[in-house]
Amino acid sequence: MKKKIGVYICHCGGNISDYVDVEQVRKAVENEPGVFLAKTTMFACADSNQKEMVEDIAAQHLDGVVVASCSPKLHLITFRAVTERAGLNKYNYVHANIREQVSWAHSDNKPGATEKAIRIVKSAIAKVNRSESLEPVKVSATKAVAVIGAGVAGMRAAIELAEAGSEVYLIEREHFVGGRVAQFDDLCVSTETGKTLVTRLYDEVMKHKHVTLFTGAEVIETSGSVGNFNLKVKVVPRYIELRCKEHQLQDAIDVCPVQVPDEFNFNITMRKAIYHNYPSEYPQLPAIDIKNCTRCGECEKVCENINFDQKTEYLNLKVGSILLATGFDPYEPKRGEFGYGEIENVVTLPQFKRIMHYSKDKLMYRGKQIKHIAYIYCVGSRQVDGENKYCSRYCCTATIHSAVTAKNKFKDIYNYHFNRGIRTYGKQEVLYDESSRKGDIYLQSFEDAPPVVEKKGDKTIVKITDILTNNKELEVEADLVVLVTGMVPRKENSIAGLLKVPKGRDNFFNEIHMKLRPVETVIDGITIAGASQGPKNIMESMNSALSAATKSFSIVNAGELALEPTVAKIDKENCEWCGKCDEACPYSAFTKIEYNGKFIAEVNETICKGCGMCLPVCDTNAIELIGFTDKEVESMIDALV
Amino acid sequence: MPEQKETLEYDVLVVGGGIAGGESALNLANIGYKVLLLEKELTIGGKMILLSKVFPTLDCAACITTPKVSEISRHPNITIFTSTVAKKINKIAEHRFEAVILKKPRYVNVPDCTGCQLCEEACPVSVTDQYQYGLVGRKAAYIPFSIASPRAAAIDIDNCTLCGACERACPTKCIDFTQTEEEYLVKVKSVVVATGFNLFDPLKIPRYGFGKFKNVITSMQMERQLAPTRPFNTILRPGDGKMPDNIAYVLCTGSRDKTVGNPICSQICCMYSIKQAQLLMGALPMADITIYYLHIRAFGKGFNEFYAQAQDMGVEFVKGKVGKITENEDGNLILRYEDIESGVVKEAEHDMVVLSVGVLPNMEISETFENKNLELDPFNFVGQPDILASPAKTSIEGVFVAGTASGPMDIPDSILSGGAASAETTSYLRRASL
Repeated sequence: MKKKIGVYICHCGGNISDYVDVEQVRKAVENEPGVFLAKTTMFACADSNQKEMVEDIAAQHLDGVVVASCSPKLHLITFRAVTERAGLNKYNYVHANIREQVSWAHSDNKPGATEKAIRIVKSAIAKVNRSESLEPVKVSATKAVAVIGAGVAGMRAAIELAEAGSEVYLIEREHFVGGRVAQFDDLCVSTETGKTLVTRLYDEVMKHKHVTLFTGAEVIETSGSVGNFNLKVKVVPRYIELRCKEHQLQDAIDVCPVQVPDEFNFNITMRKAIYHNYPSEYPQLPAIDIKNCTRCGECEKVCENINFDQKTEYLNLKVGSILLATGFDPYEPKRGEFGYGEIENVVTLPQFKRIMHYSKDKLMYRGKQIKHIAYIYCVGSRQVDGENKYCSRYCCTATIHSAVTAKNKFKDIYNYHFNRGIRTYGKQEVLYDESSRKGDIYLQSFEDAPPVVEKKGDKTIVKITDILTNNKELEVEADLVVLVTGMVPRKENSIAGLLKVPKGRDNFFNEIHMKLRPVETVIDGITIAGASQGPKNIMESMNSALSAATKSFSIVNAGELALEPTVAKIDKENCEWCGKCDEACPYSAFTKIEYNGKFIAEVNETICKGCGMCLPVCDTNAIELIGFTDKEVESMIDALV
Repeated sequence: MPEQKETLEYDVLVVGGGIAGGESALNLANIGYKVLLLEKELTIGGKMILLSKVFPTLDCAACITTPKVSEISRHPNITIFTSTVAKKINKIAEHRFEAVILKKPRYVNVPDCTGCQLCEEACPVSVTDQYQYGLVGRKAAYIPFSIASPRAAAIDIDNCTLCGACERACPTKCIDFTQTEEEYLVKVKSVVVATGFNLFDPLKIPRYGFGKFKNVITSMQMERQLAPTRPFNTILRPGDGKMPDNIAYVLCTGSRDKTVGNPICSQICCMYSIKQAQLLMGALPMADITIYYLHIRAFGKGFNEFYAQAQDMGVEFVKGKVGKITENEDGNLILRYEDIESGVVKEAEHDMVVLSVGVLPNMEISETFENKNLELDPFNFVGQPDILASPAKTSIEGVFVAGTASGPMDIPDSILSGGAASAETTSYLRRASL
């Protein structure tokens, strides 16, 4: 039991004290066993109060500290650091939440709120009376980072990490790097094209001796934790040997009998099972799509560099941190959604960009010249009925940019934008202005009454009730209808499943804190970058990639990491390995080991997060959670009831 | 003449102690670099520390900013100079910058100040409080606000009568009128520009009546009324202290408006207005809130859902540009606007109007660079010559930009931009050591 506990009760500038009588709370707890001083404070977290706490702890030799304020999610670490600075072991600090759990929850009952606050503070005092000094678990960190995904965000992060001094493994599932940007031509807010941007990033990746690039590579197993992750990587061969002869290769492509839709062109063209990279994709080496290859052997007859004996390889990598830059998928409209898949001249925005890529002078699609283009916005985003409630952020600007580009590049283009309120935020606004000045027509639909695409004879008509012209029913005859499809999370993202990366309600990766910690995840050592975290344009993806690189670097650069000692502990005598703890553990922290002629569970302290899921399932009560021992929790319950 | 002090040496000079500069400084300090953080105001934390809650999480801004600010101010690798500006910065060579910085006197010895506020009580001078955006007054001897960092008094010498009352009241004798301006030469290897933004001054649109009609306020003033450190502890209209029950927001005040020289969208006003509307519905459950908008730019993570939530709560959204505001005898305001959905010009009466003012560049920093040109973009934000691959790079190698100094952005984007600036600075510094 403690003799000198300091208790601080926070007003939170009114957030608490508007509903809880903090002075009454102070009086009610100042004579609790062990309490030496009890104070109230306007903002416990403010620097001035922290300073005062440090002085109190040091001068009065306090042996336990309680702050009653907001959720521990916000400030547990803050006040642990305060006690540590004052020379007291930080595990002698206990946090009482009287804001989220009291003042905000019971704003309709002030006396009740005050009574509840008193009990919560008393239970924290009971816990701190039994707290013990603990030392962190120390692990050394491997100075290497795995970057998953070699789109522009992943490549940029890899370069920065290597420049800062880390070893980098850049792992790309496809045979070619460049991601989505390789599929773009002209880029917004820049004179660059997708090709020039991908090329210079790839060149830098290749020139950096501390970046190792793996293509056709996928992480299939993970273990370990922050500082020391082990990754098993499967690398699929290209089945083509280096320095293949160019003319022979073209012959091999020509003789290949397999035709599959070319995903690079969003299926508007076909490709063979043996195929070359596009100029904006690297490395500049062909590959065989083994999933679709029939092994007919025709290519081998004309090209001596094809080698079907190449084997899938498995590599084991050890890294201190993992940076996920796995990108996005464009939304794939359902069949019949605005005529998609049913009316031949309805395409998506990514397809439209590729159509522009293949057109010269005149914009052509399926042999017909395109003049009148109708863009239908928010397809797959801001869905009133569907699951995707979010805005995809980049599409308004990307569409207007494409429309302006089409107008500049081709003759007789007329653009009609069927939108739901244009969101060209920030400096992108000037592009909207430019397109309006160039004569683009904007029509806006109501949230619940989207435009309709229909076939009238051989004509494709888009109809709208237009907000901007006093709800007039308007029709446009379009040569091409472009569905402005938003960004959705990657459908196939096995690494996220392996690492149990949390996802938000929109199914993109979830950050720790949306405002202040946007690239870190609750899994220590795993950072997220680019559109894997949510829709972003290129510049925003770069900022996020560089931020994630900084965070990953500071982990691996630390040399030694201090992890929380508040983990599960096995009572070896009582444990009779039943495996229930292992099943309950969301982090796979348990292993089965032999001890004194029986099997028991062992906890990997670097993996265990101290979540406590294993405790209630243990039949023999052989698990104790350090920092939340039975005697601590029982004393808290006694104080509460 | 300012007093010439010793030469200081650091790895990085970060100009601006807001949330972006703070993020850059922290990242660099965590990697092991020594950082000098300059802040022209009396406290670090920038504009974020003054906000009420943040969208779309509705976290209390003070609650999430103070730990960050505290971490910055405690970090052994970060030295903070408040009330300090960079007068000039010269690039001598790669990885060699020399800056002259000017530290204005606070007339208070900060380490000795306990923040007891007795000097405030004693001071006989009342002036408007810039940190409360003119809503209330403060003394000439004052603590900026309760969560300021450092939380120490300062003397507003321009308004001080030198009566000496504060000196007599101070229990620790920390007030020192002999302090003078101090000038330091600072040698660093790299510079991060995180000088933030200015808010649009609505006096430039006289037809909205700001400054003339007392019940027309700016969104930052409303932000202060909603903050935990709020001046009135409730929402009042300034004209007569009445609690408003019919509040209008005028979006795009000073944004997307060529007539005031700012053609771009400020990126944050839609969302902060929607947030304030939600908070007002909590604070004044009977009040009607109407938002006059052109397009709602709810584009970020969770933003569109937050916009939908405001609609569900009953916030009224009117698509239309407000042309003119006039005042009734009772202080209520008449908004004349184009109602786009019906296509006619209408008038509506509200008892309080909030102008959602936009984000303007803070151009001072470009003049600070003497021998090299820090190029600005067409909108006078710091230019980003390699915007797609290296958004933090500026026209001067070794000088990086963080946060709203390069354009309008919200808090998460500022944090990402601050992170990008620290990453680029790290690799630039590492090249110096190779």
